[in-house]
Amino acid sequence: MYGGDEVSAIVLDLGSQSCKAGYAGEDQPKSVFPSVVGSVESGGVVPDGGGDTDMEAAKPGEAEKAKARKLYAGVQALGYRRDHMEVVPAMKDGLVADWDVVESLWDHALRDRLLIDPKEHPMLLAEPSFNTQQHREKMVELMFEKYDVPALFLAKNAVLTSFASGRATSLVVDCGGGSTTVAAVHDGYVLQKAVVRSAIGGEVLTDCLQRTLEAKGIQIKPRFSFKRKEIRPGEFEVVPVELPNTTDSYYAYAQRAVVADIKESVCRVPDSAFDDNSYANIPTTPYELPDGQVIEIGADRFKIADIMFNPTLIQTIPGMEKYGTEAGVPFNGLPQMVIESINKCDPDIRRELFNSVMLAGGTAALQQMKERLEKDLMEEAPQAARVKVLASGNALERRFSVWIGGSILASLGSFQQMWFSKAEYEEHGPTYVQRKCP
Amino acid sequence: MEPVVLDSGTAFLRAGFASPDQDPSIVLPTAMTRVEEDGANGNSEAMADVIHPIERGMIKDWDAMEDLWRYVFYTNLGWEPGNEGQLLVAEPLLTPKVSRERMVQTMFETFNVNGLYAMEQAVLSLYSVGRITGVSIDVGHGKIDIAPVWEGAIQHNAVKRFEIAGQDLTDLFAKELAKSHPHVKLDLATVEMLKEKYATVSEDSTAYAATAEACPKIEHTLPDGQVISIGRERYTVGEALLRPSTLGVEEDGLAEQLLRSVSMCYPSENQRQLIENIVLCGGTSAMAGLDARFQKEAVLVANPSVRPSLIKPPEYMPDNTLNNSAWMGGAILAKVVFPQNQHITKAEYDEAGPPIVHRKCF
Repeated sequence: MYGGDEVSAIVLDLGSQSCKAGYAGEDQPKSVFPSVVGSVESGGVVPDGGGDTDMEAAKPGEAEKAKARKLYAGVQALGYRRDHMEVVPAMKDGLVADWDVVESLWDHALRDRLLIDPKEHPMLLAEPSFNTQQHREKMVELMFEKYDVPALFLAKNAVLTSFASGRATSLVVDCGGGSTTVAAVHDGYVLQKAVVRSAIGGEVLTDCLQRTLEAKGIQIKPRFSFKRKEIRPGEFEVVPVELPNTTDSYYAYAQRAVVADIKESVCRVPDSAFDDNSYANIPTTPYELPDGQVIEIGADRFKIADIMFNPTLIQTIPGMEKYGTEAGVPFNGLPQMVIESINKCDPDIRRELFNSVMLAGGTAALQQMKERLEKDLMEEAPQAARVKVLASGNALERRFSVWIGGSILASLGSFQQMWFSKAEYEEHGPTYVQRKCP
Repeated sequence: MEPVVLDSGTAFLRAGFASPDQDPSIVLPTAMTRVEEDGANGNSEAMADVIHPIERGMIKDWDAMEDLWRYVFYTNLGWEPGNEGQLLVAEPLLTPKVSRERMVQTMFETFNVNGLYAMEQAVLSLYSVGRITGVSIDVGHGKIDIAPVWEGAIQHNAVKRFEIAGQDLTDLFAKELAKSHPHVKLDLATVEMLKEKYATVSEDSTAYAATAEACPKIEHTLPDGQVISIGRERYTVGEALLRPSTLGVEEDGLAEQLLRSVSMCYPSENQRQLIENIVLCGGTSAMAGLDARFQKEAVLVANPSVRPSLIKPPEYMPDNTLNNSAWMGGAILAKVVFPQNQHITKAEYDEAGPPIVHRKCF
């Protein structure tokens, strides 16, 4: 048992798109940065010599020697364009894929941004609602062994979002960057059989927007690829900069950053299902790209946002016709996912779930998302159910609702006895996490 | 008795009673030497064992800092033990919670101050030019801080701290001079003085490249009589701020960093207002030509429809406001906070302990 003193806990939320970290008790994370790192394979000497470096890296014992790559985490380090720097994401399909990357992200958050010594702060980690036992144990191991934290706790994203609104039972619709997850939370526990996932998240929307713009002939130039020169006072000219050693992944990453900004400023969810005819004459909104081009976006603003409700629209986007035709990943719009999830729960709690549908996540900050979801749900739900969709009015709170829930949880007095302490870890091992953090 | 405003920087410590349209009455170098017998403080740097309690903006040697503060409060400002006044402390950005609490504890328990308020230097610098929204770029001796502030609240997520600043420029200058004058021995204090006198930022990158060919040389007589001529080195030092690759650091220059910092502010509608209100302050910002060059670079890097502009201090503020902007802003804030009792009083501290600083001062 860890009796938390006055030392405040740290809340870490690693998502597919961004990593959020900060002190418990505060209303916003102090540090938010993308969950990707720049990786430069340094031309390091391989002590054993000969053979393929990749082959040697595959052997677990040799991994340290052969893989000499430097990881750059954080907005500033990632923003500086380096030769041969690849962009490596930490998560794949919503679960952690590369533990080295996760380590460097946490290092950056704790040591560079929060400036704390992990040994002195208990950590509350947010995990995906469908996290596997193996991932949980690895995370616990990493925290205790490498960072030497005094205590930690793993809480599911959906539960934390629920707490952020002050409810113990709700249906959490988490529209994140990498995926969308609908999970039912009852009395503070996630009902595992009712978790519904879809691969459509903010990144997919950004991709679609990018292809749509490119199909219209608009070239998105990342910031580092051009320079502006003053040819006459007040008049500027854009000069492309030759940087042949930039990797494709970095170029794509920088482009996506520009398109993501367009999406966040301009896209709106339409009031009813999108179709080309009714939106053909919609007035366009201007947007200025970093290099000075002004583009006009009209019906596409609504089409992209409507993908959340009608994913088949993706197939109408040039270049993405084949999306989703491979088997496996379900392909439902948001309202259908909500209904599916609720139907998998016990009939007794369904009414309460319909009554408290919580919207969270970065993509949920799209304008008019709440109103449209409420309207669609009322049409699809059984007649007797009273549908109510809750979403924080503040876009920032929607984006960080998981983190905020963690901040609330970790500062509760009654929570302090629930920490998984280092002593318990040393006595029972990482598998004990199943018992302590259900 | 007026409240005291204290701004402890890496190179200089500024303190004085809060009077907003005057300079701080005490400006001391933050350096001390250790004397064996009794802890008297000296400010001479000629002796070997010089201690700098503040490194890169953060207090590293708390005991030494306490001694220095004691000297400032009791000897310089004239506080009497038992009758201490109120204090406003300017803190650097990204101060860990633990450091903050320790500072508060020292002030209340060792120095017995009557009331305390702590605020980040970035916000104070903005106050000193009469704004509450904008980006404050504090080019100091130990660090450069870029902090967007919106209506008095720092956007913590967008804050950037550069660990290269005045002292690194001095080192670079020393290296460059050593290259061109291998026979002249220069100690750091002299180089510092030369840097302050001669370092210039070229008008733009093409002008800097031109200095490689032809550059006016300036003759300078050192205290020991030798005459050295300084040529391109002065421009190199200035250029290093805008292109840190000269210093061997893999980072973007000041203008790009500013832009990236602002682009992390949310919502994006605020970003324009932030870029159009930039305060460039701090000791090193007094370098000749930095203002104009920085503005030029910022215009090139920003979106075409946005016009980055530097804020000039209002006329009623003294001339070197931008050097001591954090202190000046503190003086202004002190006039507001203490009369309205928004500060931490001794009674509140006794009841709640050091963590009260996080609740009362933000």
